Amino acid sequence: MNQSPRRWITILIPPLVLLLLTMVVWQLAVTLLEIKPYLLPSPAAVVEAAIEHRGELFSAIWLTGRAAGLGLLVSILLGTATALVFSQSRVVRRSFYPYAIALQTVPIVAIAPLIVNWFGEGFQSVVLVTVIISLFPVITSVTTGLTSIDEGLHDLFQLNQASRWQQLVKLRIPSAIPSLVTGARTAAGLAVVGAIVGEFFAGASVTERGLGYFVLYAVPNLQTDLLFGCVIAATLLGVVMFVAVSVVGTHLLGRWTAEMETH
Amino acid sequence: MWKQQRVTILVLLASLAGCRGVDQSSGDDAVDGKPGARLEKVSLQLNWFPEAEHGGYYAARLHGFFEQEGLDVEILPGGPNASVIQKTAGQQVNFAVANADQVLLGREQQAEVVALMAPLQSSPRCIMVHADSGIDDFGGLKGMTVAMGSGKAYARFMEKQGLLEDVKVVAYSGSVARFLERKDFAQQGYVFSEPFVAQQQGARTRNLMVSDLGFNPYTSILITSTEQLDANRELVHRVVRASIRGWQKYLEDPLKVNEHIHSVNEEMSLEILAFGVEQLKPLCLPGEMAAEDLGQMTAERWETLAGQLRSLDLLGDSVKAADAYYLGGLSSPAVD
Repeated sequence: MNQSPRRWITILIPPLVLLLLTMVVWQLAVTLLEIKPYLLPSPAAVVEAAIEHRGELFSAIWLTGRAAGLGLLVSILLGTATALVFSQSRVVRRSFYPYAIALQTVPIVAIAPLIVNWFGEGFQSVVLVTVIISLFPVITSVTTGLTSIDEGLHDLFQLNQASRWQQLVKLRIPSAIPSLVTGARTAAGLAVVGAIVGEFFAGASVTERGLGYFVLYAVPNLQTDLLFGCVIAATLLGVVMFVAVSVVGTHLLGRWTAEMETH
Repeated sequence: MWKQQRVTILVLLASLAGCRGVDQSSGDDAVDGKPGARLEKVSLQLNWFPEAEHGGYYAARLHGFFEQEGLDVEILPGGPNASVIQKTAGQQVNFAVANADQVLLGREQQAEVVALMAPLQSSPRCIMVHADSGIDDFGGLKGMTVAMGSGKAYARFMEKQGLLEDVKVVAYSGSVARFLERKDFAQQGYVFSEPFVAQQQGARTRNLMVSDLGFNPYTSILITSTEQLDANRELVHRVVRASIRGWQKYLEDPLKVNEHIHSVNEEMSLEILAFGVEQLKPLCLPGEMAAEDLGQMTAERWETLAGQLRSLDLLGDSVKAADAYYLGGLSSPAVD
């Protein structure tokens, strides 16, 4: 128990020190080289811009975060369901799985305007774009997890004449949890990208402006400091989602693998 | 030496910041050019794909006005993300086409650009609606979906006037396809461009002019960097003089120029370009304005714009409107 605080310190201190050093170097570079703000703003300018627009930025993070979170949730559920189907039918898997891999590479900036065209502007399209970009990593990793099981365990189940359902619930699904967590982590980062790209094309109304809107606003007005602020906000959002997925995943891992061991 | 190193470091950091690569070659050549020898190479960056609003510059090139001033002007086409302010301030191009609000906002961020001439006196910015939508003023946009460039100053102006309440603002893709599909759709445009394209596709349109709202920044003006202006004022005067002649010629006799524009931008048919010139004439020379006065800018309009941008919280107090433009080129006599 005494180890815990020390462990946290060793985890947090080095990155924080690096961050501090980076900020110092950045500020020095901007000041000494007299770099113009429209090219590279100083850390101070970025912080100032973030504070100046804090109300709008918070609303934007909340809106984009909701779209990313909802999209991620749908991706995880839909992806897992699809992977379950894949794991149960070799024919279906062999037919569809290659497309699942290929569709991971479709450029989202080309898909997003199509989605908006078909489904209209607004939140629903943003969520849909998010689902599309974050779905396939979940499908591929969970399918791998469900189908790559320990040979010895599989034989054990066969020997005991376990039914298909028993195999699925007691062997495949618990084995697949780690893969699910990995896939969900990848999907979490992509979900934020998807939400922002979706917002580029799906537009905004005066009351509903996400991070995508602020990026599009900052660029033509040369407000590079605000743009940096948006980038940082988007990164933080991605980190929060990643951590959330990891925490839930670790909890699930603990539960399910524990179950596996006792049976 | 140190300046070159500084530039290199700037370039590296700028590429870190995500800016596109820099081509430093042409800028320095033009600044140190010797008049009377070969033609001086100069670059002019357009703010969009070549169209009628750039006609005067192409005319100046095609009809030899630039050459008569000893200049070889390369006109670079732009597009949706033509970062004209950054490129001009960063000396990647010598001259560019931009809007007055961009100049002021750029100066706010220490992008040192200065406006030289305004071929268009009235802003062509409009919101295009279907003629049978029953909308005849901006108030009628309530409940509609409008494609506008997010963050543009005129959009903020409309918002401040309360004209965007209950309006769904979506990104403008540059094409009129969506407008043609839906009746409850409106979109931004320039009065000499999108309405005609839509009409050719069978739609009947009406234009709501943003300048009628009182927001009328000089549009598609010629700009350069303060550095360029200070380093070689004579060069700037020559470019402005030739450009004015080019514009005067273009408005009178655009055919040859339009053929050239069509060749570099196939999307612009000769018909659209001809239509564009007709629409441009009253914008360039409104009312009784004489052709000799083409390109003039007034301090008053710049001050008005600065005031409007400040009230929209887009501009701080540090930027002085008077620093943003240079009128010397407009009245400079020709040197033989």
